[in-house]
Amino acid sequence: MLDLLVLGIAEIFQLRILIIIMIGVIVGILAGLIPGFTVAMAIVLTLPLTFGMDPVAGVSAMIGVFVGGMSGGLITAALLGIPGTPSSVATTFDAYPMTQNGEPGKALSIGVWASFLSSIISFIILVSIAPQISRFALMMGPWEMFSLIVVALTIIASVTGESVVKGLIAGLFGILIATVGADPISGIARFSFDLTVLRAGIPFLVVLIGMFAISRLLVSLETTEMNKDADNRAKDKLKNVKFVLKPIKTLITVLKKPGTLIGSSAIGSIIGAIPGAGGSIANIVAYDQAKKWSKNPEKFGTGCEEGVIASEAGNNSTVGGDLIPTVALGIPGSAVTAVLLSALMVHGITPGPLLITNEPNVVGGIFFAFLVASFWMLFAQFLGMRFFMKVTQVPVHILIPVILVLCVIGTFVLNNRFTDLYILLAMGLIGYLFTKYKFSLAPAIIGVILGPIAEVNLRRAVMADPDWTLFLTRPISLIFLILAALSIFFTIWQSYKTNHRIKKMEQVE
Amino acid sequence: MGEILIGLALIALCLVVYLESGNYTSLTEMHLDPGSFPTLIAALLTFLSLILIIGKVVELRKRKPATKPKKSLKEFYTEYRLVLLTVLLFIVYIFLMQFIGFVVTTILFIIGAGVLIGSRKKKDLIIISSVAVIVTLSTYFFFENVLYIRFPSGIFF
Repeated sequence: MLDLLVLGIAEIFQLRILIIIMIGVIVGILAGLIPGFTVAMAIVLTLPLTFGMDPVAGVSAMIGVFVGGMSGGLITAALLGIPGTPSSVATTFDAYPMTQNGEPGKALSIGVWASFLSSIISFIILVSIAPQISRFALMMGPWEMFSLIVVALTIIASVTGESVVKGLIAGLFGILIATVGADPISGIARFSFDLTVLRAGIPFLVVLIGMFAISRLLVSLETTEMNKDADNRAKDKLKNVKFVLKPIKTLITVLKKPGTLIGSSAIGSIIGAIPGAGGSIANIVAYDQAKKWSKNPEKFGTGCEEGVIASEAGNNSTVGGDLIPTVALGIPGSAVTAVLLSALMVHGITPGPLLITNEPNVVGGIFFAFLVASFWMLFAQFLGMRFFMKVTQVPVHILIPVILVLCVIGTFVLNNRFTDLYILLAMGLIGYLFTKYKFSLAPAIIGVILGPIAEVNLRRAVMADPDWTLFLTRPISLIFLILAALSIFFTIWQSYKTNHRIKKMEQVE
Repeated sequence: MGEILIGLALIALCLVVYLESGNYTSLTEMHLDPGSFPTLIAALLTFLSLILIIGKVVELRKRKPATKPKKSLKEFYTEYRLVLLTVLLFIVYIFLMQFIGFVVTTILFIIGAGVLIGSRKKKDLIIISSVAVIVTLSTYFFFENVLYIRFPSGIFF
């Protein structure tokens, strides 16, 4: 573990990389700040810029964006009561009332400190747990890897979106997208229908840009969304709040609540490590738990310090948690880490349990970049917040066309293939339809990236021993499959229970 | 209603996968051939799509006395006008890029979409035009010179 960190320090402590991370953090904060511009979008669009860098520098830039983005939503959430990203919904519950009580500076400073300290806690969790998990994963054969992917996909399908069925459909659809192109074992071209567009397969990143960026932009063009945005902007102008940040005083305030801080960070790290569940869920769960455990829960929602600490610690610590399965198993927990993995693949590094053994400098670099990014985030937030505020004023009619063009460029840069642009458009429209009918996109994306790995492992397993029952008789594989079944049944049971309760309420009325 | 259509579309997609999967030659008799994994996934997807469709049909039947007034085409248009027009503009942009070149089409697209979405005031027009030129040229030169990407050049550049 220590040798990993030493390697990481050697990789990261170069002026060039430190500056790259700082730029990443600032870009991330801005992305988190601008309503309608999500962190996933920012990461997707940073990727093409990193192709020219070496792998560690590229990955560090993206981690910078990730860490910055998680804390960027805080500013609008605290000052305007509008979550800049879905990850800061619970932050508005207490930070905004605090601003209304005349203490905007305090709300922001507490939020920044909570974000920073929780990042450090989740960094410690990441560094101590990830190598152990990967050592364990090295003992797994293709049977276990296949079952692990099955459980990862079912969990994603059950925690995101409206229903398990829709989540699973999205996941399977993603896997089918990934089967287009060359077969991973024999190399035969599949499902290309003699179209040049499809012969090389559907690149993962194009799917990602289409589904996460284009479809999101289309949603924000709907008239209802445009009106909502205009309302928020009108509110924005009225509230030219003046605030004084108090870094030292609020640090003490935050440190005086170690229980809330550590508890929320632990919750955030665990939720971040679960595939599919990310900042948006952790933010609310951490807030909810802090309220449950608090001595005076009635103060929550009126601008209490603990509420701000819990919600911001919850969303920022998901970064470290999210990196655990990504680094240790090669299984991304969210769209953001999926991009991170594909960035590694672009540089010819294969993610998986062997990553820590084969590329210790890259893993150490990832770990240490996370730590450095947290420090940059702290400085950038305290020094640059006033400047960042101005950027929320970028009008939609400039933002949307420019991001659309950046999507086109990102797609084009990836393979230098013109036909990919048609795939981008198709994926954008499919993603838009999916969002309209409440199919969540995360399972589809993770399906695209995990599908080929699942197929390779399934076929390897059958090649090694054509006995199907091995999936059920090998104990670890069996445990994974049972977990997968449980996650589906649990979600169905839960939705049945809530439906039942609603019906009962209706009958009473 | 939309869910049922999506379900049907997915089942149609799965049928294509079944039909296509049979065509791939398998290397040996014992192992899974290139078509088997997609077939397995398609089978699962068909099953789930059927569940989705059946669930929605049952739901629609129960709600038969239409409580929800049908949305008129006009309402649909006002809600989705910008989405439709932007997608249309985007298609034209991609299509024309291979003939006219990246730089010209991109500048025109940013200005066009900006005017479509935002206001048509003179001041805004100047801002969006300068943004279009700066963004296009800076990305163009960055990628051409730093990453050696060749953008479609077309007739002008």
